[in-house]
Order: sequence, then structure tokens, then C-alpha cells
Amino acid sequence: MSKKFFGLIAIAVFAFSIMLAGCSQSKSSQPNVENKKDELVLAVGGEPDTGFDPTTGWGRYGSPLFQSTLLKRDNELNIVNDLATSYNVSEDGKVWTVTLREDVKFSDGQPLTAADVKFTFETALKNGSVVDLNVLEKVEAKDEYTVTFTLKEAQSTFVNSFVATGIVPKHAYGEDYAENPVGSGPYQLVQWDKGQQLIVQANPEYYDQKPSFQKMTFLFLSEDAAFAAAQAGNVDVAAIPAAFSQQQVPGMRLEAVKTVDNRGIVFPYVKSGNVTEDGLPIGNDVTADPAIRHAINIAIDREALIDGVLEGYGSPAYTSVDGLPWWNPETVFKDADLDGAKKMLKDSGWKDTDGDGTLEKGSLKAEFTLYYPADDAIRQSLSIAVADMIKPLGINITIEGESWDTIEQKMYSNAVLMGWGSHDPHEMYNVYSSKFAGVEYYNTGFYENKKVDDYFEKALRAANETEAMAFWKKAQWDGTTGLSAKGDAPWAWLVNIDHLYLVKDGLDIGKQRIHPHGHGWPVTNNIEDWKWTE
Amino acid sequence: MIVTVIAVIFLLSIVVGRFLLDEGRIATNLTIRNAPPSFDHLFGTDWLGRDMFTRTIMGLSLSMGVGLIGAIGSASIALILGMAAATMGKMVDRMISWLIDLFLSVPHLVTLILIAFTLGGGFKGIVIGIALTHWPSLARVIRAEVMQIRSAEFVQVSQKMGKSRWFIAVQHIFPHLIPQVLVGFLLLFPHAILHEAAVTFLGLGLSPHEPAIGIILSESMKYLSSGMWWLAFFPGLCLLIVVRTFDTIGENLRMLIDPTRAHD
Repeated sequence: MSKKFFGLIAIAVFAFSIMLAGCSQSKSSQPNVENKKDELVLAVGGEPDTGFDPTTGWGRYGSPLFQSTLLKRDNELNIVNDLATSYNVSEDGKVWTVTLREDVKFSDGQPLTAADVKFTFETALKNGSVVDLNVLEKVEAKDEYTVTFTLKEAQSTFVNSFVATGIVPKHAYGEDYAENPVGSGPYQLVQWDKGQQLIVQANPEYYDQKPSFQKMTFLFLSEDAAFAAAQAGNVDVAAIPAAFSQQQVPGMRLEAVKTVDNRGIVFPYVKSGNVTEDGLPIGNDVTADPAIRHAINIAIDREALIDGVLEGYGSPAYTSVDGLPWWNPETVFKDADLDGAKKMLKDSGWKDTDGDGTLEKGSLKAEFTLYYPADDAIRQSLSIAVADMIKPLGINITIEGESWDTIEQKMYSNAVLMGWGSHDPHEMYNVYSSKFAGVEYYNTGFYENKKVDDYFEKALRAANETEAMAFWKKAQWDGTTGLSAKGDAPWAWLVNIDHLYLVKDGLDIGKQRIHPHGHGWPVTNNIEDWKWTE
Repeated sequence: MIVTVIAVIFLLSIVVGRFLLDEGRIATNLTIRNAPPSFDHLFGTDWLGRDMFTRTIMGLSLSMGVGLIGAIGSASIALILGMAAATMGKMVDRMISWLIDLFLSVPHLVTLILIAFTLGGGFKGIVIGIALTHWPSLARVIRAEVMQIRSAEFVQVSQKMGKSRWFIAVQHIFPHLIPQVLVGFLLLFPHAILHEAAVTFLGLGLSPHEPAIGIILSESMKYLSSGMWWLAFFPGLCLLIVVRTFDTIGENLRMLIDPTRAHD
């Protein structure tokens, strides 16, 4: 009886699943593949959970699409005017004055004025935007098209908040703005089906070079679904993981974009003993030894990691800012040097006294735990590969995959595989400054170097970005000390992950700038350069 | 009979094999990534160059370990509750029956996930989860069996002679239950292994670099569309074979023990 019953259920389930599969197939073949020269379908992931409100952080990793910003970065990452026609900073660096274009209208036809800018920054300050505005004291609208920002103290990186904060209209900002954004950007929102798709159309009021596509559809698919959609020819651009990069997709080509989307290991920098305010332990005796950190840094074979884990689509990482204008190229060193690393450990007194393959120094054993977020396949692979690479040195790394909730409890006293990467030098300050020790995910190792802090201060107090640049570089390595692996080595940076896109043949996506950490849509940053070449 | 012997040998070889295999074979070897099955690597290698044969054997023996502890735990709970229900009076019986019904009314897997999640996942979470979820049907069988034995004449006589409840339970009833518990335990085993695989597949159990069979299967899903069929095929097949083997052993044992089916 029961067997028959099971059989029936099995048949029913089978039949039902065929029906379901049939449904979804017929649906996906509906969109017309041909003849959409001024329409694009993209599956590039990155749906924002909190919607499209720049005052809470939308657009900080790339163009806000619906809004436009006072300044923007060009493809070489230089800062150029967007809504602003000029800006200048007072002698003491505290007062920033911005003059606006006078011909800008929001997509609803209303003009964009100084009042909107003032409103945007005040709201962002109140909302606690992810873009750090704590230094901002007040914003004033001098006249219709001039705004002044007064800071509590000079901060050269404040210019990045002009780049990262899209301007919202005062008259159309309300509770549901995040779902119905109105702005002055190149596109306006038509429809957003959460978790499924976003449809946008060109904003007729856009003041700058108009993009050549009237309509874009962003599909929010998982990575393998995006790949399947690309194979079926349903999308024009698809973001794919490195694992799929070896396969040819007819009619599409693979574009690998360089990034500062980096991965590295952050070590607890201090000896154990202390606890945070919440009672979480700080520090680790093994990783507090500079010899261990340096040895790991030079022993890692970064090229092997790139070939092995990233299928060759990546570049070795030496700092958190590789390739950016404020990166110091002197921080590059020779890696995959097992002998050098062994010698370094030996010279500082690490010896395998009990013959178990793991080094000891007094009563201390050269072993520690490396945590990685369990749901991230690349970080998992990197962790496994690094632990195996380091083993011949006699350093035993135990790896542990956990949720971020658990990692937050452990990250001050254990090594963690983290990732950063931003177009704002302020991030380096956050990650390495002693002021941010134990603050959120910044400086979890409690790294502190007076000299580096000094350089940071000088960079922040500098009158402009160019002047600050020299100090950012010196903070990494000034010839004797610094935050890079040549200096104190509080991190072992591993790789920068190329962002991979399958792009339809004939679609030119322009010159892609170095992408930041992978949230949002850095790929559409230069949407006005996109065009069909055939 | 022969089938059973072969089956037992097969399972033992997996457990023993785990200790014979070289740990170094599951270390990453980035030069031989994604290799299809060959004589060097019977089940091929994965995207980090780890030998899939070694990983599968390790995963299976881990699963069997989890299954063993879980099944022992479950069988013990079933035995205790089943006997308590049948011997300790109406009130207790009602309560335990209610508990059994309660657990039977919710699918195993849901309770298992809930328990494993509350205990923070990991080896401990899964083992306790399996032990706490797989007992109801066996407990019900044992309860019925105890009821039957209790009304047998030798128990009645013993009762009339003033023997204590404890004495009757241990000396008269328990020996008669051993076959049921044993068969029940063996049939729980494949269930437990499958559910362990399911929970780790869903990512609620062990750390994702441990060689557990569910984890191996869920990882391989990501690589299926890139044509690396051996990642899922061999471990999946092995899991099926192991589960089926346990099932066969359990069924055969039942046939041996159960007098009504002894001549099947």
C-alpha cells in the first residue's frame, strides 16, 4: 500500500515539476531577442537592499544612475565637474564653496538648485549615510547656485563625498523615495520588482552627454542563472564568476575588468590579553610577532592563487589600494619566497623543537585560526589554498568558515579573510588608522603606528587631493616604516579580483575604470560611452 | 546472507580506508585542478586540485560517524520513552504518545534544521539534532511491543509474585526488545546519514571546507554547468550505495530475527 502511495506521489511530483519547468521556459523566451538596438538587458547582480536613496548610501560604489553628483571621477579616476562648475577650498581647508550648473533639471522638470544640495547633505547627515559625513558641520545655500560646506576640521578626502552623494530633490523627497527615486541622472526608474528586475528609461531632461540606450533592464539573477541566461542569448551583459570563464558563449565575448576589489588576511596586530568594550578578546600572541606576518607575506605565491582560484583573472595585491592614484608602487615585493620566509622565521627564534612539523618559540606554537565567511566560495578557496601554502613553513593555519555574526565575535583575536577596495583614499585611513581600531570592520587587528597616523593626519589636513597624495603614499611606505607588507605588515594582501562580464558581440562598453569592491553597478559608471559598433 | 556479509565488508572498508588514505591528498594542488577521473585520481579532482576519491571516503566516514552517534542517541531515546510509556501508567503513556504524535506531525528535516540552527550548527548541532528527531516511530513500535509483552503470562505471574516494576522491566521486558531495537537502529542509520547530508547540503551544518558528503554535493552544484560531472556523480552515487547497503543489512537482520518472516 505505502509503496503504491509513494509511487503515486513520485509521479505527481515529477509531472508537476515538468509543468513548472515548462512555464518558466516559455516565460523566459518571451522577450524578443532581436531588434532592441536602443534597449539593453543586463544581469550584473548588485541589487541594493535599501533601495536607491543616495542619502543612505546608494551609489557610493559607482554611478547612482538616477541621480547625479556634484563631482565625478573620469575613466582615469581624476575628479572632474558634474553638477558643479567649480569648487574651491578656503585657506584653512574648512570652508568648501561649490558653484552649480544653472541648466540642470530633475526628471520631473523642476530645476536643481542650491537648496536641493543643502537638503541632500543635511538629510544624509541625519540618515547616517554610509558615506562618512561626520566632519561636516553645516551646509548653506549662498544663492540659487552656490553652496558652502563648513567642516569641523580640515579634511582633504571630503571631496569624495561630493563624488559619492547623488543630489535628491527637496520637493520630491519622501518616505518612499528609495523606491521611487527622482533625480537628475541619465536614467529614470520605470519599474522595480524587488528580487527580480529593474527597468529604467533615459531621462529626457539629462543635461550631459545622453546615453545611446533608451531603456535598460537589470535582471537580478544568481551567478549561474546569469550565465545560463547569457548562453540562451537573453542578456546583453552578464556578470559571471571566474569558474565559468573557461567556457565560450557563442555571440558573446569575455571582458575582464581590473579592480581594487581585493582580498587579504587581516592579522591581530597586538598581543592577547585585552578585551573590547563588549568583552570580546583582542589580540593573538602568534600573529603579533612581526616575523610571522612578514614570513607569511613573502611565502604566499600570489600568481598561483590567481591561476588556481581565479582562473587567471586577477592581479596580485600588495596593499588595499593597488593601482589607484594614491598607491605607492614601492610597496611591491618579491613573493613565493619560501626559503626567505623560513630564514626569517629562524632568525627571529622560531624552531621546530618537538619535531611535529609546527614551529615553536618558547611555549608558543606557530598556529592560529583564519576565519572566512562561509557563503563566499572565493574566500573559502583562498583560505584553503593559503593555509596549504603556508604549511611547509611550519605555520599551522586552521581554517573556519562561519557567518559574519560569528566572525564579528572572533575577528579581533583571529585572522580573518576580508576584502576592501574603494575610490576614496579615506578607506585606507579607516582600515589602518589607530582611531578606527575595533570600529565596525575597520582595523580589526588594532594596528597602530604613530608615524602612519601622522602621515594620515597630514594627508587629511592637506589643502587638496594632489597634495594629500604624497602623504597617502608615505603612509604605505616611507623608506623605513609604513602600513604595507614592507613595513609593519598588519595584513597579508592576496589578490585583486577581476570583475568578469560576458558582453554581447558588437556592444562597446567603453573603457572601464578600475572597479571598486563589488557592490552596486560599477560597470554602468560610463554608460554614456556604451554603444553598438555594428 | 552473502549480500549482508559483502555489505558489512564494504562499509568497514570505508571506515578503515579513511585512516589508510593520505591526508596530503586532500591538500590543495593547484597544478592538477579540475582533472577528470583517471587511475591517479579515481574520482577526479576538484577546482583546487584536491583528490575527490579521498574527499568522498572522508566525507562518507564522517557521515557514518554522525549517523552512528545520531542513531544510537535516537534509539536510546526511543527505548526509554517507549518503555516508560508502556509501563509507567496511563498519564505518562498519554503524555509520551502525545509527544510522539507531535514530533511525527512535523517533518523530520524541519525540526532537524531548527535544532541544528539553535545549537549553532557544527558537528555537535547536527548529531544532537539527528538524535532528537529520529526517535518517534521507533518509540511507537517499542511501546506497542512492551504493551504486548506486559500482558504475557510470565509477566503477569511475575507481577503477582510481587516483583518490582523495575525488575520486570529490566529482566522480562527488555530482553524481548533487543531485536526490535537493533533492527530499528539499523534502519534509522541510512535515514540519519541522508538527513545529515541534507542539512550540510543546505549549509546549516559543518564548516564548508570540511569533507562532508552534503557539502561536497552542494559545492559541485556550482560546477555542474561548467561540465565537471565527476564532482557530483561519484560522491552522490557513493552516498546512495552506502544508504542502500545499510537498508539491506537492516532488512536482512529483520528477516533473521523476526520469527514470522524467518523463512522468507
